[in-house]
Amino acid sequence: MSSLISIQSVSKSFTKGKTVITPLDQLTLEVARGEFLSLMGPSGSGKTTLLNLIAGIDTPTSGEIIINGENIAALSRAQLTKWRSVHVGYIFQLYHLVPILSAYENVELPLLLSKMSRAERREKVLAALDLVGLADRADHRPSELSGGQEQRVAIARAIVHDPDLLVADEPTGDLDRESADSILQLLNELTEKFGKTVIMVTHDPKASAAAHRSLQLEKGKFIEDGHLLNKQPAEQ
Amino acid sequence: MSPLLTLAIKNLWRNKLRTVLTVLGVSAGMFLYAAVQTMQHSLSSATEMNANDTTLVVYRENRFCPSTSRLPEHYLPTIERIDGVREVIPIQIAVNNCGASLDVITFRGVPADSLQKYNPAINVIAGSYDDFLNRSDAALVGRNFAQRRGLSPGDKFEAVGVNVSVAGIISSDSATDENVAYVHLAFLQQASRVGLGVVTQFNVKVDSAGQLDRVASEIDETFSSDQQPTNTRPEKAFFAETARQMIELISFTRWLGLGAVVAVLGLVANAVLLIVRGRVKETAILQTIGFSRLAIATIVLFEGLLLGLAGGFIGVFGAAIFFKMQSFTLGNEGQTLALIPSANVVVSGLLVAIVLGLLASVYPAWKATSKPLVHSLNA
Repeated sequence: MSSLISIQSVSKSFTKGKTVITPLDQLTLEVARGEFLSLMGPSGSGKTTLLNLIAGIDTPTSGEIIINGENIAALSRAQLTKWRSVHVGYIFQLYHLVPILSAYENVELPLLLSKMSRAERREKVLAALDLVGLADRADHRPSELSGGQEQRVAIARAIVHDPDLLVADEPTGDLDRESADSILQLLNELTEKFGKTVIMVTHDPKASAAAHRSLQLEKGKFIEDGHLLNKQPAEQ
Repeated sequence: MSPLLTLAIKNLWRNKLRTVLTVLGVSAGMFLYAAVQTMQHSLSSATEMNANDTTLVVYRENRFCPSTSRLPEHYLPTIERIDGVREVIPIQIAVNNCGASLDVITFRGVPADSLQKYNPAINVIAGSYDDFLNRSDAALVGRNFAQRRGLSPGDKFEAVGVNVSVAGIISSDSATDENVAYVHLAFLQQASRVGLGVVTQFNVKVDSAGQLDRVASEIDETFSSDQQPTNTRPEKAFFAETARQMIELISFTRWLGLGAVVAVLGLVANAVLLIVRGRVKETAILQTIGFSRLAIATIVLFEGLLLGLAGGFIGVFGAAIFFKMQSFTLGNEGQTLALIPSANVVVSGLLVAIVLGLLASVYPAWKATSKPLVHSLNA
């Protein structure tokens, strides 16, 4: 499989008071197109920071993040916004649907600023809702849906504009086991049937086991057999 | 409709009570602003001259109240003979209050047979002009005056010690005509005890606006050595000089208007800022899924605009309807200023509301996206 993401010596540090904190330190990582990768690690290990960097909602202090041949570390904030709107779908732990909008309208959000006609948008939104099995809930508000259904709507919102990359921050963290399993199954389908690349942060070993590959992070580095590594472990 | 506008409307509707209270506050501020502007506009119309103004007012020199301006009626033929004078009408004025007042009653005594010829704009909308001509104590009452006092043809009323019978209700292009009661000159001279042969002023129409100054000078020169010297000015300048108290009061209201504008600005800014602060995370989510800072700012600006426009619409139209229904008239030194709502005030009021709504949202719009995205997501 060709590489979709190539992260080269990426560090992220910031200052809190007088202390310099480095959540990511000289990390290098390759992610293949169509891969389902899970990132695990304790709180503060840097997994969400890495996810945010890959999603283009944060920028590294140093290093390169090349996604689909483009170094997004060099993009401005406005360019990153535009890039995200095309290439990334983001799935949050707490779904973060807009409560005043219906499921349909929530899924439609990423398409609103495109030049698509209303009919084209409708076609894509209904297809996305159908894919996550919620075509019959299009008119429901988030408050009228279960947690699992809300997360499915959030996934529909993440895939409606057909991005190459899906990033998910603890997508099953707020769900019961049954709902969590169905969400993981859906993410797997997205990689296998539609070729999406999924990077998921999770604390849940069962969720991690659903991925093609799982990486452990600690103190901003990858860990293997108790050793901290800058590069991803060679054996996968 | 723009999707961003739709989102802005839905966002406002999310917290109905806050939105309704904000709109009510803006309405109150814009009502005050429009009320002040109505007064200012009415005053401008009454005091700013234009090329169509060809009327002079001949008044007793150094007098400002109708009760102290007394001119001999026999000045009439002398004035009529001055070159450029087209028409002259003697007027006796009786008012209940020379000071600035909201409830002024003004009688204008004129030669009954000359009134319509002098002022063809007068239109009898109820009752009859003939009844006015045939009865010496008859009055033609201005529409606003009649509405305020609840008068209709056939009614009798008494004010300033003058008892009259309403012969008709009149409308006119001139707001002043709609706020006075025209009576027979001789009747008013006797009823107000100034005596026959004495009038308050002469209104003089000249052939063209260019002749106003020359004719005014000639009139004053003619009577300068008379026992009752005159001071002749164009009608609007006369109004501006005579009703100074009222003009000062109205000028002061500018500050109230400015205060209303500042209050609306603060209210909308505060409301929009609260709205934005309550949605930090949601705004971050929208940015994460591809909404640009400009798009987010546009939504916030739309929200401010809608609050301003809704409040402005209610306040400005409320003020216009209020002034239309109430027919307020300010009086001072026998001059009456009708406070009339105008299309100009409504349009400018709505524009001010829109601009205020947008201005008030600029800072919240910037604030909504100023933080780094990651910080907002973790908020």
